[in-house]
Amino acid sequence: MKSLLQAALVIAILSAIGFLLGPYHTDIYRKLLLWIALALSYNFLFGVAGQVAFSHFTFYGVGAYAIVILVTQAGLPLPLAATAGIVLCVLLALAVAIPATRLDGFYLALATLALAQLFIVFLNEGGELTGGSGGLTSYRLPDVGGITLSGPRYTVVIVLLVTFTWILLARIDQSWFGRACRAVRDNPQAAAAMGIDVARTRVIAYALTSALAGLAGMVYAFVDNTVSPPIFGLENAFLLLFMVIIGGSGSQIGSVIGATVLYLLPFVLSPLIGHHHALVFGVVMLLVILAQPRGLTGLWAARPWRSR
Amino acid sequence: MLNRALTAATLVASLALACAAPLATAQSQTPIRIGIITDRVGPAKPYAEPVTLGAVFAAREINAKGGVLGRPIELQIEDDQGRPDISATMARKLVDAGAVMIVSLSLSTATQQAQTVSLETKTPHFTPSNSGDTLTTQIANPWFWQSGPLGSAQVATLLSYARARNLKRVALITETSALGQMTARSFREALQRNQIEIVAEEVVPGGATTAEPQMQKIRAANPEALFMAGVVTPENVLMLRAYRQLGLKMPILASYNMSVPVYSSVAKGLLDGIAFVDAFDPARPEAKRFSEAFRKDSGTEPYNLHGYGYDGIYLVADAIRRAGSTDKDKIREAMQATRGFVGVMGAQGSTYGFADGRRTGFDTNGMVVRVYEQDQQGRVVHTGSR
Repeated sequence: MKSLLQAALVIAILSAIGFLLGPYHTDIYRKLLLWIALALSYNFLFGVAGQVAFSHFTFYGVGAYAIVILVTQAGLPLPLAATAGIVLCVLLALAVAIPATRLDGFYLALATLALAQLFIVFLNEGGELTGGSGGLTSYRLPDVGGITLSGPRYTVVIVLLVTFTWILLARIDQSWFGRACRAVRDNPQAAAAMGIDVARTRVIAYALTSALAGLAGMVYAFVDNTVSPPIFGLENAFLLLFMVIIGGSGSQIGSVIGATVLYLLPFVLSPLIGHHHALVFGVVMLLVILAQPRGLTGLWAARPWRSR
Repeated sequence: MLNRALTAATLVASLALACAAPLATAQSQTPIRIGIITDRVGPAKPYAEPVTLGAVFAAREINAKGGVLGRPIELQIEDDQGRPDISATMARKLVDAGAVMIVSLSLSTATQQAQTVSLETKTPHFTPSNSGDTLTTQIANPWFWQSGPLGSAQVATLLSYARARNLKRVALITETSALGQMTARSFREALQRNQIEIVAEEVVPGGATTAEPQMQKIRAANPEALFMAGVVTPENVLMLRAYRQLGLKMPILASYNMSVPVYSSVAKGLLDGIAFVDAFDPARPEAKRFSEAFRKDSGTEPYNLHGYGYDGIYLVADAIRRAGSTDKDKIREAMQATRGFVGVMGAQGSTYGFADGRRTGFDTNGMVVRVYEQDQQGRVVHTGSR
């Protein structure tokens, strides 16, 4: 009951912010929340389950394109299209994850990198289905139960997505499955010796987080009502990885901090130092990796005034 | 009593006038804000930066001549990092800041995403440099215009040059980037439409260290000319090096990418005789005057990309002047009514205009084919796409 009330309070506060901001700041706020949702699910895959995969942003794109194609080209009602989109993400994730469980570390990264590249080629060459290099645009979110979800109302949808992602992953992290994921990450042989099905654990973690990324993509598709290949390019896959590392791999609050810092950095620094913000980004990355590999949350854990 | 009242009234009126005069002056000095979205760190930076410099130079020149409607123009420049989602965010920032027009100089896809904002907020939006063919067709946005030459125009111009040379059998080479593949596809389709046989088609993979195997196959096919559709500089340089090393003699007809002057330094000794499509004719009087003024102002030699930004700001300023106010509706009407605007870009005699409700303003016959001479971009050898 207490946690339900806490969740309701968080949703109310985060939604209220959306009603107070002007158009420019609302836009930044919405996109930041979407990055946070993505960072949370990627943190589970990379930080908790220990899978170095570069396909997370690809599933964000699969979700975004799927909902637009299913709603505008196939004419499906929104709830059915959303369900079909998630099923598509899960099936695709299983198709990738089942053979990929044979791979580990560097090789898994390469395999998922290839998937990410393939997806961009598919988008560019997809003809009328994907809109080619120009992508798909000029569509809008259908009314849901007679309600037009635009403006601050759509911000509430994004807040619900973030809260749902946080609660779901926190629950899973604390469950036997979360502990199994950590065990597989730390020592697959020891985990197997304890009776954990390593392959199954990896496949479920990959499919679950990919479905969450797909769900976030579906929500993103209606933020600017346009999707195009560069949005789902590899640069963003790397940015997502940096967000989790900077914030603190394996920590949910770390993912929120990492996503917030790296997403807002150019907006804050650009007016002050122009395009040199890219340099600051590099320096921050180096400093964190060299001085505090546990990320910004590690700084808090290592605070000198901490009571012993 | 009446006199006192009259004196008081005169005093009050004089005071009011005295106070209002600086206000009116201040009003006339309030800058007209034009928002620019450019890419300063992302993939479009090499192209967006010179276009932005041309725009800044144009604004300075306009302000030195007294501005527009008696007010200076102020460019608010925002960086979208070449990311479409950030481009839309920056468009919102510019609308919030009171920009009367948004000028997009970043990637075509970024401009497209920013259009969702200009359409929603009814803000005039314009790109002088994007060449994407679908920017004005994919979104029905009456607030958006495009004045750069379309990708299809460059293919048509190059094909017109090929027809003039009576070419029947050609080879096609490109690299593996998405744009390189897309350009090759446009070339292929246009060649097939014109019944010109493609006797060899080769691709140089990204990261390759040589293009000799591909060029050897092309040599074996014995084409009358080679169409180069690559847009990535290192791979294009490999193609040119292999072409020279194998002593090939067939003429090269290159894409618009070869009009960027970086090749003069990175492909020294490899360029002579290569024909490329361009939208800049250095012999055009307006281009000459612009080059001279830019050189004097910045100490550097301008090229085609600077010209796009320069023309873009002059086009916008002209529309605001004809609108007679900064009202967005009036600017939209004036922009759409643009006809016969003479800029520095395009073949001699070509002009910009948005006739018949079109929102693409570059003269479809305004592109040229130029040749490299002594490693420098040289004279025009062909004009137009007819």
